[in-house]
Amino acid sequence: MLAKTVYASFPHDRQGGRRQDWYYRIVVVDAAGNRSRPSAEIAGHSAESVAVSGRPLATVGAFDQRSLELALAPSGSAQYRTRFPNGVDYTVGTSTPGTDWSYIQPGPADAWAGSKASRHTFRFALDVVPAGETWLSIWLLDTHASNPGTLDLALNGTAIPTVKLENGATRGSLEGDATVPGTLLKPSYVELALPTAALRTGENVLTIDKRLGSWHVYDALGVFARP
Amino acid sequence: MRPAPPADPFQLGVASGDPLPDGFVLWTRLAPRPLEPDGHGGMPRVPYTVRYEVAEDAAFRKVVKRGQAVAAPELAHSVHAEVHGLRPGREYFYRFRAGTEISPAGRTRTAPDPRARVADFRFATASCAAWYHGHFTAYEHMAREYLDLVLFLGDYIYEYGITSANMWRQGVPLPGPEHAVETTTLEQYRLRYSLFKTDPNLQAAHAAAPWVFTTDDHEVQNNYADDWSETGIAPGDFLRRRAVAYRAFYENLPLRRASLPQGPGIAVYQRRHWGRLAQLDILDNRQFRDRYPAGAVVDNSPERLDPRRSILGEAQERWLYEGLRRSSATWNLHASGVVMAQIDRTTGPGESYSNDMWDGFPANRDRLFAAWRRHGIANPVVFSGDIHRGVAAELKADWADPASATVGTELVCSSIGSDGDGAETDGSAPVWLGNPHVKLYNARRGYLSCRLTPAALTSEFRTVARISTPGAPLATAARFVTEAGRPGLNREA
Repeated sequence: MLAKTVYASFPHDRQGGRRQDWYYRIVVVDAAGNRSRPSAEIAGHSAESVAVSGRPLATVGAFDQRSLELALAPSGSAQYRTRFPNGVDYTVGTSTPGTDWSYIQPGPADAWAGSKASRHTFRFALDVVPAGETWLSIWLLDTHASNPGTLDLALNGTAIPTVKLENGATRGSLEGDATVPGTLLKPSYVELALPTAALRTGENVLTIDKRLGSWHVYDALGVFARP
Repeated sequence: MRPAPPADPFQLGVASGDPLPDGFVLWTRLAPRPLEPDGHGGMPRVPYTVRYEVAEDAAFRKVVKRGQAVAAPELAHSVHAEVHGLRPGREYFYRFRAGTEISPAGRTRTAPDPRARVADFRFATASCAAWYHGHFTAYEHMAREYLDLVLFLGDYIYEYGITSANMWRQGVPLPGPEHAVETTTLEQYRLRYSLFKTDPNLQAAHAAAPWVFTTDDHEVQNNYADDWSETGIAPGDFLRRRAVAYRAFYENLPLRRASLPQGPGIAVYQRRHWGRLAQLDILDNRQFRDRYPAGAVVDNSPERLDPRRSILGEAQERWLYEGLRRSSATWNLHASGVVMAQIDRTTGPGESYSNDMWDGFPANRDRLFAAWRRHGIANPVVFSGDIHRGVAAELKADWADPASATVGTELVCSSIGSDGDGAETDGSAPVWLGNPHVKLYNARRGYLSCRLTPAALTSEFRTVARISTPGAPLATAARFVTEAGRPGLNREA
């Protein structure tokens, strides 16, 4: 059995980045414990993440539905203001996830972080600009339940359309492993094609600004060449 | 002919509740294997007849009522037998029989005649019984007090998963993986009640006196407000969850048929009388409350002051004020899940308030205080819980002016289990005691024991020094006297 729920829908999440094919059927159990006959089968599948299908060019963190390897994780948000007073500035190759990439990025709705916008900067070098599409993959472990806010992304100063984040469960600031059975964490994913014209050989700078809403917590982030 | 139930079906004990002048409701639930993961307690999926008898003596020589009820699988084989035709203001004993199995006996009592001049009313308040945080030693001591009533103020269970991280009750094995997840389904809520109710001290406290109940948040989910969940569950889904949570609440407590949930709604707020001595208004401050004013639990947002905000909802407010208008009781008692007194959370300059408590609804509080004034309410006393601390506070006409009139009294019981052993004081003491109308702050586990007479309310904050292991003796951290006609707190001990 996959799950029991009282809700009208069941999000079958946390399947990892690879496409998975599933067949489902539903049994209704009433208050007396009586079980219905199983429903007809339905088929479904998850989409494959570019973090799995793509060729990694630069990453921070492991795409594993955990924030634990990142700085301050899993519950050190109170130290954010002193450890990252000017936000995060991370350079692939010299920075390390456990000290330089804060697991949490606050927003202006977060009094604990000074009620102001924040920025995570991700610097990565390219020997050559890939010929095909280059994609950004951000796996989020969780976001604020009612006010997840937005991401304003820019690559080398070229703005990318604002991303509205999905509502999470407001638990990722406290716990860091979405693979634990029964966890309330609500992971979500942001994957999009980067503007090819904005990429360049040498150092590239991706900025992630949080100008609206409350915090989000990272699982991992990466730039990938799409096959 | 109904079949005989499996052996030893009374493992969750017996209980009585909601005493009226002519009777009460008797409760039990057949569960020979209470911790079966499906929540049905090891019962076959068929109904059983359960018989009960009520006697005037503990030996059951003078049985005054006999009856029977059906324990049906739809309600987890719970029994809610409403007994009428008894004499007011006296003690009774009761027990159940299912097949050849006899339950333990319970003691209960009827409320006094509504016209009676009651000389003495002894009751306790309790809340926040996180089974996994420690032993129910406070219930053990409460069961030994000769009480007329127990007023339970919310958080009878907790919805959180029980894991090695929060299992502080020593000497007890960690419950199985089916207990390690947050409760969302009917079988999970049922199982959670079963787990908590296997505790012998809780069973003893139920068997010793009738209880009445209000809810707080953890009967469903932390901090919920009407159909709003802090974890972002869509309102429609959350109401489905609320429906099963309330159903399990009903199934496991001595509540009348009128409290059987209808969909996602349950009748919690109600008015009871203890002779002419007291009117008790039991309030529901979860089911109809507005959401956080500006999205944050603690703030001092201008939205907090919106005059339309209500913690009770319009219908309950109307019912409450109308009931106060008609009250002729010497004492008017309010049971609230959360604290009513204003508590500024910021020590030093600035202000902040918990929007989870009445501080999130100051306009509603002002309307209540206005109703007290308007109707000349005698001796209002608020009983609340939620904070896992024993607190005594004076309710002020003007919170900013300590010299202003004290319009009422609030007595906040600590937790039975939540937050573990505790201490006499802790880091939050300066916050609470920084509000000059707060006269006591104690961070031990315990309950509040009260004696109410026409002249005075004597309230004693009972505490235990530890709950991680069983057997802590009972102490009285403080005793206050509130004189009739003079709201406020006079500390005696």
